[in-house]
Amino acid sequence: MIAKSARSWIWLLYAALAVYAFITFIPFTWALSASFKSLPEISAGGADFIPKAFTLENYKTIFLQEPLFGRWLANSVMVAVTVTLFNLLFNSMAGYALARIKFPGNRLLFVLVLAVLVIPGQITLLPKFLILKSFGWLNSYQGLIAPALVNATFIFMMRQFFLNFPKELEEAAALDGLNRFETFFQVVMPLAKPALAAQTIFIFMGSWNEFLLPLVVMSNPEMFTLPLGLNAFKGQYVTYWNYIMAASMIFTLPALAIYAFFNRYFIQGVTFTGGKG
Amino acid sequence: MKKLLSSLAFSALLLLTNSCRSGDKNEGAIEITLSGWQSNPIESRLLEKVIDQFEAKYPNIKVKHEVINSQYMDVIKTRLIGEVAPDVFYLDAFEAPLLMKYDVLEPLNSYIKPEFNLADFEPNLIDAFKRNGNLYGIPKDFSTLALFYNETAFAKANIQQPPKTWNQLIEYSKKLTLYDQTGKVNQYGFGITPELPRQQFIIQAFGGELVDRNHYAAFATPESLKGLQLVIEQYRHDRSSAQPSDVGASSGDDMFGQGKAAMMLSGAWTIPYFKETFPNLKFSTAEVPTINNRKGTMAYTVAYVMNRKSTQKEAAWKLIEYLTSEATMKESGSQGFALPSRRSVLKGLDSDRHSLYAPLIAGSTYATIWQAGETLPTILTNFDNQFVSALIGQQSLKDAMQKAQDTANREIYLSN
Amino acid sequence: MLNKTIWNKQSTRETVSGYLFMTPAIVVLGIFLIVPVIFTIVLAFYRVQLLGEVSFQFAGFKNFVRMRSDERVWIALKNTAEYVAIVVPIQTILALGLALILNTNIKGKSWFRVAFFLPTVTSSAVLTLIFMWIYNTNGLLNSFLGFFGLPTYNWLGDPDVALKGIMLMNIWATAPLFMVIYLAALQDIPESLYEAASIDGAAPWEKFWCITLPFLKPVTFFVIVMGIIGTFQLFDQSYIFSSGSGGPNNATLTIVLLIYQYAFKNLDMGYALALTLMLALVIMTVTLIQRSLFKEESLD
Repeated sequence: MIAKSARSWIWLLYAALAVYAFITFIPFTWALSASFKSLPEISAGGADFIPKAFTLENYKTIFLQEPLFGRWLANSVMVAVTVTLFNLLFNSMAGYALARIKFPGNRLLFVLVLAVLVIPGQITLLPKFLILKSFGWLNSYQGLIAPALVNATFIFMMRQFFLNFPKELEEAAALDGLNRFETFFQVVMPLAKPALAAQTIFIFMGSWNEFLLPLVVMSNPEMFTLPLGLNAFKGQYVTYWNYIMAASMIFTLPALAIYAFFNRYFIQGVTFTGGKG
Repeated sequence: MKKLLSSLAFSALLLLTNSCRSGDKNEGAIEITLSGWQSNPIESRLLEKVIDQFEAKYPNIKVKHEVINSQYMDVIKTRLIGEVAPDVFYLDAFEAPLLMKYDVLEPLNSYIKPEFNLADFEPNLIDAFKRNGNLYGIPKDFSTLALFYNETAFAKANIQQPPKTWNQLIEYSKKLTLYDQTGKVNQYGFGITPELPRQQFIIQAFGGELVDRNHYAAFATPESLKGLQLVIEQYRHDRSSAQPSDVGASSGDDMFGQGKAAMMLSGAWTIPYFKETFPNLKFSTAEVPTINNRKGTMAYTVAYVMNRKSTQKEAAWKLIEYLTSEATMKESGSQGFALPSRRSVLKGLDSDRHSLYAPLIAGSTYATIWQAGETLPTILTNFDNQFVSALIGQQSLKDAMQKAQDTANREIYLSN
Repeated sequence: MLNKTIWNKQSTRETVSGYLFMTPAIVVLGIFLIVPVIFTIVLAFYRVQLLGEVSFQFAGFKNFVRMRSDERVWIALKNTAEYVAIVVPIQTILALGLALILNTNIKGKSWFRVAFFLPTVTSSAVLTLIFMWIYNTNGLLNSFLGFFGLPTYNWLGDPDVALKGIMLMNIWATAPLFMVIYLAALQDIPESLYEAASIDGAAPWEKFWCITLPFLKPVTFFVIVMGIIGTFQLFDQSYIFSSGSGGPNNATLTIVLLIYQYAFKNLDMGYALALTLMLALVIMTVTLIQRSLFKEESLD
């Protein structure tokens, strides 16, 4: 009896998951299919999921006709990877200090981190631009990388994760004679893999998608990142949905791959039903 | 962890080595920057070609062409504030008063030589870039609005001629609105874009004005409302017109192209777009139907302007002069996305281009330029905000326009 | 005495290492974000002209007084507050629910995880087009509602539902992000806690209520605060839906859209910054209330 009701619950659960997956999957699939359609077919407004006339033209145009495509891709990868690596280190360090180290000013620093978050990006853009200009960093990689080396959101996130961290491990490390830095790198970081994986996904995606800052900082086409470069298909009067769809697919895949790869760090843990995942 | 550190060091090194990228400049050559947007990638390539010719003519000037395709004016304003703006850039007439007021543009009067033949340009296009007797921009091109109509739909409804008057347009729209079995509309007679840039001439049709002499909003008068009421009534009572979002199209052009509207007002840019996007669409153009027996339409224009802070003003002017010269305009044109701003070139076009452009060209003599002083951004926001609410019947047109006008004027007053 | 110096020494060492850990963050945030924050706070009290001839004119509280009679500010605040109140709880609960389910042994969970994450990686330009297609009067959503005999709406044109449409879109796109954070947090719960509970004969829901939820408290605080900040700063969608006007009749007007209109369209920087400061204070207040509700343990 119990088993039977549990089983029907499971089915209900699967049904709910399937419906939700449908909702999340449909728009993406539609965009994927649109990337293989011609502009007339997309503009005609049909809702077909299978292209009437399948074409690779959109991808060909982007890859072959745009001489700078490779350069943009390289710029994007370079910036996103650098930013991600620095953030993983710096945000975790700051988050750890805010969560685990008692020092005067701790609270104030935490409030400042929050204060930074509440000012909308539209407003910080102009001062950021002026600062970068005064450093002579317009049209350069450091202009995009330096302001993004740490991220207040993820300092906050890491702090919340480290709040839960078992004290006993740190105490044991202290007894072994490790100082704070050794404890952090040898004990704490290896155990924070799930949080670091989540951070990697978000920082990479954030940097990969960043549009506003590159838009004002980079004026030289060779220095464009992918979103900026691919934006060329949005004309003043005409929007080339076919190219935009194809470009967005090219653009989405790396972020999705990063997500799929780092997802494994969320699987090994325990579950609340008690079984292994 | 070692791996991480070494990759950090590597990226830091990358940063340092990449930081100086301007070392390959040609000694002695002057470099100037030209910024604009693009209608499509092909247009950009054509412009690059013209720039190559320019560089061949003036070997000591190098032109860097930059395309800004999103939030163009936000980027330009930010760069102007940071004093790193391009030497020459595109400027829409709509945004010109604000930049002229803040004195960030170089007056061009002293650069213009008689052989440039300024008188050849459409006078009202030139006027759009004038302030206190100074000329700040040379019009690049322009477009007016014309009536686009679907020939197939007209033939099916047995209509021979495009409407000449607005009353006819309303009559025809009823005939052209088609329903399916369930009573859902699958073709509207008229597609509308309920935004001020498309409505200003309708405000003026019965003697109304958008702004008064001090650039305060003044469109809530009975005269203005009389014109706008035509649009509202057709939408609400006849239900023979629709906005793009009603039919799931992303623009008025797409709505027309998909056959969901049989008529619409649009500009030159639509013609090449339709040829590429809707190759099977049979359409034609006519002058905008008269309202109150008056001809009227809108005109949109863009000019090349020079940054006042430019350090290479002579070279910058040479570029503007070259790009707007009769020879260049004739040769490269705008790919049909817009009309040339020189009358001599326009005349040539008139006789040998497809007749689709004729109504657009005809409109240039009586069009209202989309521009109304530096307060227009505020007025535009408030008009668009409230006009739609009158359109969907949330409040009467009179209330909506009064509210828009009052809000706009309070903001204009407070920011002065 | 000896004890005290050792303690002092240790606390000094802690302070030094605390600041060393914070140094990169302090430097980068200090240069690129604290400066803009100060810029905002100071210039909110000025009449500022940045374009052309730069000029600053001390205006005292003028910019703030102006807010009081600016009807659009109150409408924007009301819209935004309504938006926050509806979106934040729904997206948090949805994210938690999805994470809990995907953390169990159910079959195909890796596929579900990827599928659920797709909205987050789809670019906003594409999303807009897709949603135009879903939301229009003859679109997918209305066909769906009509099929089940439910009322249909003009999702894009009708101000009563325009904001709801944006809400749905936002929940759909943000919930996966928070789902990932919850998934990561769930990995950190020590198995020993559950084992001990099992020995005590706790039912699954008791384990969830007494172990999982308390353990997720710090992360939930983060998720809610970030949700509040994100929703208070809503801009993109309402900009796209109303082409920047905030209409019809202010239905999609948000505070950040208003700030953007003043800062970039009207070049009224002083007033825009005063609005920013007001928004920041509102968010901070809500966060502090939040924090006292969560009774976050202070460290010691």
